Amino acid sequence: MDIDWSWIADHRDTLTEHALIHLRLALLPVLFGLLISLPLGVLCRRWGWLYPPALTIANVLYAVPSLALFMIFIQYTGLTASTVMIPLTLYSLSVLIPNVVDGLASVSEPVRQAAIAMGFGTLRRLMQVELPIAVPIVIAGTRVAAVSSISLVAVGQLIGQGGLGYDIIRGYQLQFQTQIVAATVLIVLLALVTDAILVTVQRLLTPWARARGKAAS
Amino acid sequence: MITFEGVTKRYPGGTVALDDVSLDCPDGRITVFVGTSGGGKTTALRTINRMVEPTSGRVLIDGQDVREQRPAELRRGIGYVIQHAGLFPHRTIEDNIATVPYLLRWNKKKARERALELMERVGLERSMAKRYPFQMSGGQQQRVGVARALAADPPIMLMDEPFSAVDPVVRAELQDEFLRLQDELHKTIVFVTHDIDEAIKLGDKIAVFQTGGKLVQVDSPENLLAHPADDFVAGFIGQNRGIRTLSFAGTSDLRLSDDAVRPATADAADAAGLDWVLVVDEGRRPLGWTRPAQVAGALSTAPLAPVGATFRVGADSVRVALDAAVLSPAGLAVGVDEAGAVIGTAAGTDLLAVPTHGDGTHDTVAAEGDDARGDGGGAG
Repeated sequence: MDIDWSWIADHRDTLTEHALIHLRLALLPVLFGLLISLPLGVLCRRWGWLYPPALTIANVLYAVPSLALFMIFIQYTGLTASTVMIPLTLYSLSVLIPNVVDGLASVSEPVRQAAIAMGFGTLRRLMQVELPIAVPIVIAGTRVAAVSSISLVAVGQLIGQGGLGYDIIRGYQLQFQTQIVAATVLIVLLALVTDAILVTVQRLLTPWARARGKAAS
Repeated sequence: MITFEGVTKRYPGGTVALDDVSLDCPDGRITVFVGTSGGGKTTALRTINRMVEPTSGRVLIDGQDVREQRPAELRRGIGYVIQHAGLFPHRTIEDNIATVPYLLRWNKKKARERALELMERVGLERSMAKRYPFQMSGGQQQRVGVARALAADPPIMLMDEPFSAVDPVVRAELQDEFLRLQDELHKTIVFVTHDIDEAIKLGDKIAVFQTGGKLVQVDSPENLLAHPADDFVAGFIGQNRGIRTLSFAGTSDLRLSDDAVRPATADAADAAGLDWVLVVDEGRRPLGWTRPAQVAGALSTAPLAPVGATFRVGADSVRVALDAAVLSPAGLAVGVDEAGAVIGTAAGTDLLAVPTHGDGTHDTVAAEGDDARGDGGGAG
């Protein structure tokens, strides 16, 4: 495999720009996914009957090929970033909803009982006890969602919104391997760095979680 | 005072958790709810802070129906300790303890100062303040649980099997410290346990619950042991009821004999005719037992059998004294004063002459309120 290092040096700025677009297209949907999953997960935990249908819908959406979703949303949002980000947001739900629910379920019964008996109201208990304890599991889900979103977003280039996906498709059209390899390596790097950042955030947010099993017992 | 007035809890489906329960939990005392599982004792406890709402009847605190207060506010005024401590895993020890002060909007500094003060009170080092629960042992977590319940200085404490999940040695330690703490704080405590020995050790008043949420007997520990209301209670109390009653009999009125006590300087010949003598030093501290018949000359040269267990006159119960008598080679219990000096000895039969009818007329150790009342549980 021949790598044209000078091409990479010459296109550093373009690649950086594509990488930033790529990140934005990939991570905003995860953020939206969290904003939807957190309240939805809380409701699923509150009313157990809601969880199976919510999870089924999220999983069915995940099974629909991205291309098909693009075609559906293109009618409403055209060839814009939204058309890429809406399907990615929907995809993230199938990971994030169960993680929020599992995270809330990880609050042990004695802890919940103690919180009630100490005089926490429902909302305060959720904000100060249940959600903080759910954080490690929610972040674990967020890591999966973020990494898969970073890899999936390249497909968005099919409607002209792909970040580094552009370089992969362009490289294929021109039979120019360097561009394909450079973009692919960058996508993997973005995924690794994002994951590392999320791990660090989790460590900082939850210094208490290192022996979770023991603490929860 | 906490008053239950005909409290019944019936769940949809017909299960009765509490069946027309009426009782008083007096101020400054420990009332223990004891019984088989499914007996409704935890349910009864939870009607006090409205974690369970009765189907009928009412619960009053100092004459006021608990339903007159919003649940969250009511609960902030009532300490609560549960079996697995239920510490918040994401909060440090000091912040766990300061939970209720924070909810009551104390300023953070004051709340944390209070937390540190309580850590010392319950026997934890201040240096543990910044640790997380997972870094503490089960016994330490339970202490934090107690400190957390005490943080806002509530007059009432509810304790739901707080010491059940720790090993027996730690449990006994926590129980003793709990009694010592209660002697200082005089909280109105309702304590749930399935362990009758714990109930007898800790309770000023014991309420026995039977399956189906029926209250079968409410009594002092002495009376419960001496006069169980029915076969269920007798069976629940279990073996050695008579011996355990001795835990409540004081030793201050015991007549102790000095006959078998000899200084080490005495000659064995002085004690001829005695089977065993207790050799003591100049300060009358016991050195050991010996058989004068086998010794020639001064007792100081005699081979000594270990003194074994002694009892503190006045502080220990007759049960402890009897235990000492049984374990002594001479069959005599050695009574000592606070300094450990021998006051005299008593034979097992002398000890049993002390009135122990559990009728409340005699001078009981429990009435003196010191740590000796714990003997019933520890050995049982």
